Amino acid sequence: MSNQNNFRGEIGRRGLIKAGAALGAASLLYPPKPSWGASESPIKIGMVDSTTGNFAVLGQSTIKGAQFAAAEINKKGGVLGRPLQVLVEDDAGSPGTGVDKASRLLDQSQVDFFTGTTNSAVSLSISQYAAAHGKLFVCSGGHVDKLTGPACNWATFRTCSTTWIMTSGNSGTLVKEFGKKWYFLTTDYAFGHSEQDDYTKQVTALGGTIVGGALVPVGTPDFSSYLIQARAAKPDVLCLLLAGDDQINAMKQITQFGINKDIHIAGALFELEQIAALPQAAHYGSWSFEWYWDQPNVPHVHDFAKRYAATYGGQYPSARSWFGYASIHAIALAAEAAKSTDSVKVAKAMEGLVLPPEVALQASAPVYRPEDHQLMLGMFPGTVKPAGKYPDVIKVDAYIPGATIAQTPEQAGCKMVYPS
Amino acid sequence: MVILFNAFNGLIQGAFYALMAVGLSLILGLNGVINFAHGGFMAMAAYFAYTLIPYVGFWGALLIAPILAGAVGYVVEQLIVRRLYLRDPLYSLLATFGLALIIQDLLRTIWGAQGVPLTIPDFLNQPLSDVYFFITGYRLFVVALAIISTIGLFAILRFTRLGIRIRAGNSDLETIAAVGVNIYLLRSANFVLGIMFAGLAGILAAGQIGLTPTMGDELIMPSFVAIVVGGVGSLLGSLVGGLIIGVASGVTAAVYPAATEVIIYVIMGIMLVARPRGLFGQEGLLE
Repeated sequence: MSNQNNFRGEIGRRGLIKAGAALGAASLLYPPKPSWGASESPIKIGMVDSTTGNFAVLGQSTIKGAQFAAAEINKKGGVLGRPLQVLVEDDAGSPGTGVDKASRLLDQSQVDFFTGTTNSAVSLSISQYAAAHGKLFVCSGGHVDKLTGPACNWATFRTCSTTWIMTSGNSGTLVKEFGKKWYFLTTDYAFGHSEQDDYTKQVTALGGTIVGGALVPVGTPDFSSYLIQARAAKPDVLCLLLAGDDQINAMKQITQFGINKDIHIAGALFELEQIAALPQAAHYGSWSFEWYWDQPNVPHVHDFAKRYAATYGGQYPSARSWFGYASIHAIALAAEAAKSTDSVKVAKAMEGLVLPPEVALQASAPVYRPEDHQLMLGMFPGTVKPAGKYPDVIKVDAYIPGATIAQTPEQAGCKMVYPS
Repeated sequence: MVILFNAFNGLIQGAFYALMAVGLSLILGLNGVINFAHGGFMAMAAYFAYTLIPYVGFWGALLIAPILAGAVGYVVEQLIVRRLYLRDPLYSLLATFGLALIIQDLLRTIWGAQGVPLTIPDFLNQPLSDVYFFITGYRLFVVALAIISTIGLFAILRFTRLGIRIRAGNSDLETIAAVGVNIYLLRSANFVLGIMFAGLAGILAAGQIGLTPTMGDELIMPSFVAIVVGGVGSLLGSLVGGLIIGVASGVTAAVYPAATEVIIYVIMGIMLVARPRGLFGQEGLLE
């Protein structure tokens, strides 16, 4: 046993330091994965998104959409005659890791622009980093209002909706059809808080009341205690504002407890990826979808869905895929218009950029609003088909153009300042 | 009324934590390994079950998948864990931590990052009464299984030769080696037994919540806390520890929902200050 003590002494200092240094060195050796072959001088877009952690599924869909767009662009001759390269790094859903990876992309790969992020907290930190380093950042998937509100900056644009747009996509219908007493189960970080604030404002304005709510830590496996509280409050609408895998866990337990039989389950965000992970019995509820592959009578949409599914082994494009797809196309269009890869010039060109129909893939033509850099994408309020089979799982009730429900730039509270 | 519901619900939840903690506690006791890969094995067994269900049904999978996970556990013990017994516990901690990441990525590569539904039999999937809607057949079944398997484990430890050796090894490994017990074989058997418990808990968890490659991460921390509270090295302690934190977080949910997670760590903190060996732990086991 005495030599064990010697070991202990060694691991305490040298061993641990050596192991740590080796780990650090090993991670430096990992080159970021290029999605396009090597070329003379590609235009590089650094994409920071989740391939592991709680947001891995959503992040991976976004990355697939982005790579799909890059492949399309390169097939048609690239941007400014140069190939487009998407370099992907994993943020693991954490703001600190996200910024680390962004700085690695900038220092080692000299990326021209940034895109990506699913977790709102990561979006906010990358937005600050990008502005501080003079690089354009097109946020594809973080919804928190203040990113294009009080925390806006010249470098940051956003493709997905604000939580305000998302919640106002269905709050009116829900109050009218299902009732005025609301209870929230809200994920406990920036995104959930922002959603709950928005719903609260909208529902109270419509004469409704909030009868209770609980903030749920990210990564909660068991919702039973929260559900006991929620049912005791006897709401008309149980509003789920959860993210990633948490939503799946909650939905599954709600079904098991039979709560969806007497309380209407609703919420803003619900994703194609999440529905696919739920058993048939948990296909229910009213949600505000941000994009859907099945839009009859809208040109280009079905063609896009078919090509995407053919590329990715039968997997259909989700709203997340479209966020990645539209973000890359938007950067390419703006760079072409600016005839430059200089971030300030590209940002100027992106202000007021209207997505063409083959990129917009929806009934209206959304624009990146110049005042706050928010894309005016439309909402698809609807329900989950109880007997639907993937990918045909959503019944869309309406299409609401984003510009009609978004807060005005003044309400959003953004003051745009460019570097002098 | 709501508090009572929550306390009761906490008991159900606690029984589940206990089931997870027992396997962890077994391995910690005899193998002296803080098995960070326990959550990984839980998820692995659940994925095995998911794949097997179409062929052998839920009950068949519940039986076979933990055995398969145990087989993987045996290989892991032979190749990795066994080599670290003579070293400082820090080595096996780092090794199993790495192993946890490897298992998670393997699961993600094979079954995809997207969660998959693990279907449980319909008759278990209903609330038993409208008032006590949170008591579903399935949750009762989980509690029953937790009780049966723990009693079974106690019986093995009390009445079989293997069990007596495991307990003897727990208190003095060198002496039982000196009297001729093959302690390497004993520790392999014990490790496999612990992993099979992990597998069982993993399948039961996946039936209730979603099945994703990261599910083990979310479940592993409460089991560690259960062990620390109950006392390292004591199976009874792990059981009681699991029940205590289950009820505590259940009751907290009725009063201040945002603190349901932090409360279990507060309890652990108080325990570490007031009684570092835990409720039923042996003194100085891991020193």
